[in-house]
Amino acid sequence: MALLALNDLTVTFDDLTAVDSVSFTIEPGETLGVVGESGSGKSVTALSIMRLIEMGTRAKIKRGQAEFTMPDGSTIDLLTQNEATMRGIRGNQIAMIFQEPLTSLNPVYPVGEQIAESLRIHERLSRKSAMARARQMFDLVRIPEADKRIRQYPHEMSGGMRQRIMIAIALCCGPRLLIADEPTTALDVTIQAQILGLIKQLQVETGTAVMLITHDMGVIAEVADRVVVMNQSKVVEQGPVEQIFHSAKEPYTQGLISAVPRLGSMAGKDDPEAFHLAGTLQ
Amino acid sequence: MTDLGIAIDSSMGTGSRGAFRMFLRNKAAVAGFVVFTFIVLVTIFGPPIYGVEAHKMAAGPFLGPGDDAGPLLGTDYLGRDILAGVITGGRTTLFVAAVAGAMAMGLGLVVGSLAGYFGGWIDALLMRVTEIFQAMPSLLFSLVLIYLMGPGTWKETLAIGLTLWALPARLTRAEFLRVREMEFVKASRAIGSSDLRIMTRTILPNAMPPLLVAATLLVVIAILFHAGLAFLGMVDINTISWGSIMGKNRGYTLTAWWTVAFPGIAIVITGLSIALIGDGLQDAFNPKLRGR
Repeated sequence: MALLALNDLTVTFDDLTAVDSVSFTIEPGETLGVVGESGSGKSVTALSIMRLIEMGTRAKIKRGQAEFTMPDGSTIDLLTQNEATMRGIRGNQIAMIFQEPLTSLNPVYPVGEQIAESLRIHERLSRKSAMARARQMFDLVRIPEADKRIRQYPHEMSGGMRQRIMIAIALCCGPRLLIADEPTTALDVTIQAQILGLIKQLQVETGTAVMLITHDMGVIAEVADRVVVMNQSKVVEQGPVEQIFHSAKEPYTQGLISAVPRLGSMAGKDDPEAFHLAGTLQ
Repeated sequence: MTDLGIAIDSSMGTGSRGAFRMFLRNKAAVAGFVVFTFIVLVTIFGPPIYGVEAHKMAAGPFLGPGDDAGPLLGTDYLGRDILAGVITGGRTTLFVAAVAGAMAMGLGLVVGSLAGYFGGWIDALLMRVTEIFQAMPSLLFSLVLIYLMGPGTWKETLAIGLTLWALPARLTRAEFLRVREMEFVKASRAIGSSDLRIMTRTILPNAMPPLLVAATLLVVIAILFHAGLAFLGMVDINTISWGSIMGKNRGYTLTAWWTVAFPGIAIVITGLSIALIGDGLQDAFNPKLRGR
């Protein structure tokens, strides 16, 4: 049975439809890549699953179901749960990491306390035992010198380290679904590879399913099992990652794939050239 | 792992010890703290040590400071000792200022955070109420409140507290509006934080530095307010405070300057020292300034 079955999700901002009848499933333990350009509805879809989209915005979930399988095997529709139930699910069953590790951490608390906070909310741990678990999370996300860094503030850490902390916060309660909204976009390329490698490793270790949102087909090729391609609020194509890369049917998907520059493709040319994207204006 | 962490010695500034260290680094704030502590100690222990009853006639009237026959800071029109008045009157003034400041700050924090966090009709309603309080001339408003309730130290405190809460309410709202849009608030929601937790644990600490300054400023304003009310004679006639000494002697300002000057100087020094402390607290609670 699917961990999450999203069916006919439609979200509007006033009279603009941001997500139009989106359906896909996520199986336990798999990585689903959701790819598409800015404004295609990827993040709105993710925030709708978390039921965070209607907070402080004019967004409205118009239609659809998000059937989530709970640990006891029962399924609940996330879109109709009340706020108290959702609070119990957020961070505990479904966790999320955001695009900006620089601003996603609270600047006034040491990072160790921020990891401990989630444990204190969901598992009602004492401060001391929550900090001990936070200390273990540092090892899990491969941060050296944990005893020293656990007391550091976010501004004392680099972007890559901060994203590791975000991952530690997300994983500390053992969620069964991790939604990563462009987790590497704000990082430089070498750190990107490390963070993606870490997410992949942790997924194997913890068995968490991952919904990875990105606009980068290169990232998808690296970590995803299956791919959902979104464009202009709709799902245009979905399938296993090999199928998408080998024989994408939609011109838009082909365009996205060809938008990844290839090393050596400018060989023999004196200057770099702009490359042509399929399906765009020339 | 080759990830480059910025190598900052973490022993430099984390936790409350770091905040304390930042405060100590602000020399003006430390000076303010020393002066304020001295003033508080003098108002607590001064009267029994000095031993002169502030209400009673101690010597002849209108003796200047340093007159051979009179006390150190002179006497007023009834021959009451000004020094005894200043150290005894400080108790009332500081008590009223601290409690009224805390009252205004507390009310302002609650109203401002609810308005700023929830927005919408809650914000509109609370802000209209705040504007009503702001639009009224504040000294007149507290005069009316005292007129309605009658004199008495607690009632005066309440009248001042109810007059001053609009300022911290607006400031708190503005800070909440700024902070609530930040990414880490969304991240806090995503780990399952409740509204109350987000308001008190996530947003409030980030709004703290300007609010701390506002809190100290409120205490200063409350001191001036109480002095103003006492000067106008709208306080309990049997309770001595810095303002009431000045008020009772205001007819003799030109002939006996010391009767109003010394309580006035006490008000100025106290207000200045509290303002300096506020400045130091603002630095101390900003983690980004620590470890520099």
